[in-house]
Amino acid sequence: MSDVAGSHDDRPHARDGVLTRRSFFKGAGVVAAGGLVGEAVHAAAHSMSLEPVRLSGEVEIELSINGALQKLKVEPRTTLLNALRNHCNPPLTGAKLVCDRGSCGACTVHLDGQPVYSCMTLAVACVGRAVTTIEGLGAPGQLNEVQQAFCEHDASMCGFCTPGFVMSISACLERKPDATLDEIKHACAGNLCRCGTYPHVFDAALSAGRALRAKGGKR
Amino acid sequence: MTRELLQDKPPREPAPGKKWIRVTKVVNGIDSEVWEEVDDVQGPEWGPRDKLRLVSRAIPRVDGPEKVTGRAQFSHDVRLPGMLYAKVLRCPRPCAKVRLDLDAARRLKGVVGVVELGVDEVKWLGRPIAAVAAETPELAEDGLRAIVASYEDQPFAVTPARAQVDGAPLVNSKGNLRGLSRNTDTSEVDAALAKAEVKVKGTWRVPVQHHASLETHGIVVDYRGGDEATVYASTQGTFTIPGDAAGRLGLKPNQVTAVVEHMGGGFGSKFGIGIEGQAACLLAKETKRPVHLLFDRASEFHAAGNRSGGEHELEAGVSRAGELTAFKARVTRDGGISDGAGQPQPYIYAPKVAFAEQRCVHTNLDGHRAMRAPGHPQASFAMEGLMDEAAYAIGMDLVEFRKRNLPEGKRELYARQLDKCAELIGWAAHAHRSKWDASNAELKTGIGFGLARWGGGGGKDCRVEVRIASDGSVEVLSGTQDLGTGTRTYCASIVAEELGLELGQVRARIGRSTFGNANPSGGSTTAASLAPAVKHAAWNAKRALFDKLAELLGGEARNFACGGNLIYDATDKTRHIGWKDACAALGPNGLAAQGEWQSHLAANDIGGAQAAKVQVDTTTGEVKVLEMVAVQNCGLVLNELTARSQLNGGMVQALSYGLFEERVVDPDLGLFLNANFEDYKLAGCKDIPKMLAVFEDDPRGVIGMAEAAVIPGHSAIANAVRNACGVRVYEMPLTCDKILNGLIALKKA
Repeated sequence: MSDVAGSHDDRPHARDGVLTRRSFFKGAGVVAAGGLVGEAVHAAAHSMSLEPVRLSGEVEIELSINGALQKLKVEPRTTLLNALRNHCNPPLTGAKLVCDRGSCGACTVHLDGQPVYSCMTLAVACVGRAVTTIEGLGAPGQLNEVQQAFCEHDASMCGFCTPGFVMSISACLERKPDATLDEIKHACAGNLCRCGTYPHVFDAALSAGRALRAKGGKR
Repeated sequence: MTRELLQDKPPREPAPGKKWIRVTKVVNGIDSEVWEEVDDVQGPEWGPRDKLRLVSRAIPRVDGPEKVTGRAQFSHDVRLPGMLYAKVLRCPRPCAKVRLDLDAARRLKGVVGVVELGVDEVKWLGRPIAAVAAETPELAEDGLRAIVASYEDQPFAVTPARAQVDGAPLVNSKGNLRGLSRNTDTSEVDAALAKAEVKVKGTWRVPVQHHASLETHGIVVDYRGGDEATVYASTQGTFTIPGDAAGRLGLKPNQVTAVVEHMGGGFGSKFGIGIEGQAACLLAKETKRPVHLLFDRASEFHAAGNRSGGEHELEAGVSRAGELTAFKARVTRDGGISDGAGQPQPYIYAPKVAFAEQRCVHTNLDGHRAMRAPGHPQASFAMEGLMDEAAYAIGMDLVEFRKRNLPEGKRELYARQLDKCAELIGWAAHAHRSKWDASNAELKTGIGFGLARWGGGGGKDCRVEVRIASDGSVEVLSGTQDLGTGTRTYCASIVAEELGLELGQVRARIGRSTFGNANPSGGSTTAASLAPAVKHAAWNAKRALFDKLAELLGGEARNFACGGNLIYDATDKTRHIGWKDACAALGPNGLAAQGEWQSHLAANDIGGAQAAKVQVDTTTGEVKVLEMVAVQNCGLVLNELTARSQLNGGMVQALSYGLFEERVVDPDLGLFLNANFEDYKLAGCKDIPKMLAVFEDDPRGVIGMAEAAVIPGHSAIANAVRNACGVRVYEMPLTCDKILNGLIALKKA
């Protein structure tokens, strides 16, 4: 519960010197700290007199996003999702912040062609890798097959989950244009839709698969 | 205005210039069907259904390309120069005295503004108590951590059971358990129950459900000093924003513009700006910089409302011939700090004698908010369960028993819908229509049914403008908001239909408080309010255009018609002009026409039936829904494709409610244990069965159809589980443990 002091997410976040994005500290009167866990300082709940100290700073990185290199200033703890949405110019807000812990898929992007949760990926870990976002798949007037099929089958209602579904299904059909319904369900099993568009999403995915196969089959 | 209780026909001939329409009204606290006499104005008509080109057809939504490419701008996506990100500190205790020291947070580099949200004593878990604005969201989180807060715990109750024990801390000054019914005299129903040939009873329970909109609540306040502000809001009511925000910004409401381009789901929970929105305004006022404040997921669970839980103690008498002779209900809803929506009993079915008592119990948790068909899904779960138990008790076909107990005036409708569902789900071929499957099979299949009702009528609070420019372009403007139902699309299609244009020639502009007023989207009232006003505006624009052309071409405007980008005199087809030339003739001002609600273009009163087929694994207790069918009437379907999406969506949400969703709190620690999407489960791709949505032909005007779609699906699923394996699960969600325990109990019995 990242908004509530004193009852934070209690998962281990400082294991074995591994880089993690969260640095939650329990208790009231907590001092800010972030970024590299090795540098993390635990503050006790009674540390009311401590002056807040920030231990991390900004770093400049270069990311390949939708085929172009972009220089970004981020903190080590900045997620790829927040880097795309808050630090890119222009901001890439197609990937959505919904659960912020890898359980809904609305932030899905491709990293070297593989779908990943960008809320669970650190921006600094993406240097030297190819990031593709929903904005890189197609634009109005130049939709890819999945986007086109989503429109035709009304596979979005409010549309907030839609970019994530399109990313998951595009990656699936890229690998396997003849994916079956069960394979498509598996490919987007990590995506949630609250409006309940699933039946139309499946129709769209199957239809996009047919369109891709008609265009030239497996690449 | 004259109102009469509903008979099959209007009470008398309408007065000159008047006509009768059916509406749903609350009469003495009860939803009632009434006839209402309204002005019979001459005006636009939807016309014969088979002549419609765009309206009622399956049309891909006009903003689909924006949504599938990530270009659709939601409030979460607004990025402005110098914008700060705000985060909210929430009270982690259900009831506590709070003391805050904000100094350290204020001194933190990157933190630009901090506000305290003035509470000394918090009465519900998660109430906002302070907010921080900083250069990045990460820095804002640091700011929250730097706030020194001390919480002095007070006694609390976070479950209905704890709130009702002797000596429980008082959550509400009027008492934790409050009776809401005036009539508590049960003598008549008790007498009818005493005489009943067969009696059935049970206590059904529904958990608290959360809206779980994927875009969380929140606003972006663009105020940089001066006397104007723009507020981007994730809201179901564009016009619920400016007044709220203006107060906190020290501006007048007309100095604040609300913008709602797209919004990521609301389901009844998003009206006004809330305490957090007020905090964003205060931060913007303090810093003179734009402020972006959107809830995180845990906050959305703690403090964005919910569908109240409930307990339904039901008892019924039934004759061996299949008639419900008596019905007694005691409904206790779990509304947190608020009352919760009424959960009406008896739901739809019509016992000869019925009595229902409504109570609410208060806990130190966030209050309920309206959620898609407030109160109805809860009531449906209990009532449909009771209906099946009664049918099993007398050994009658489950569909037949329902058909024998339908309400006056709705018998034909519901009987037809039940029959259609039965046909589509394969009821006739099903072996267990009046008893459950008592075999020893490992995988067992069952079928269940449920009914729904809703109003869905419109109202007068919409003003729409249609503009025709001299270059031939057409715009339709309304301040209304699109919750994902396809509002933009039907605005454009109605205008294009009326003016004889293609869909792409009309641009729909919505979601801005500087456009014409529109009602907030609650209770499926948007389409039935807005669509008639759009039609009226387009019709007025057309008439104004024809008047102008009659001056230009001769002939009489009333004889003019349009179609295929052409305007012509129907009495003399040599008199015609192309659309572009006609618009050029308007001169640089073009024309603009207004439209308002037309009662004859809308209607009210929806009925629906749903059926579910499930498979129960008797080894694991797992329920797999194999198939769901929905049959619903809903007046004029504005867009078959988007309407189908909504009906599917209703079934999906009901499935999710029935099988997975449940708020879990720790009664001792006063903590919300599953305020995230791992532990608060929503239906996902692999849970979705084959779904079939059927709209009945319905000659009436537009009716909002979304609420009815969500009401009976989980009831049908619970009934199908009972039908499959004999286990009646009285408490949602239908998890494996409950099924397995039920199977063990059955074996012992």
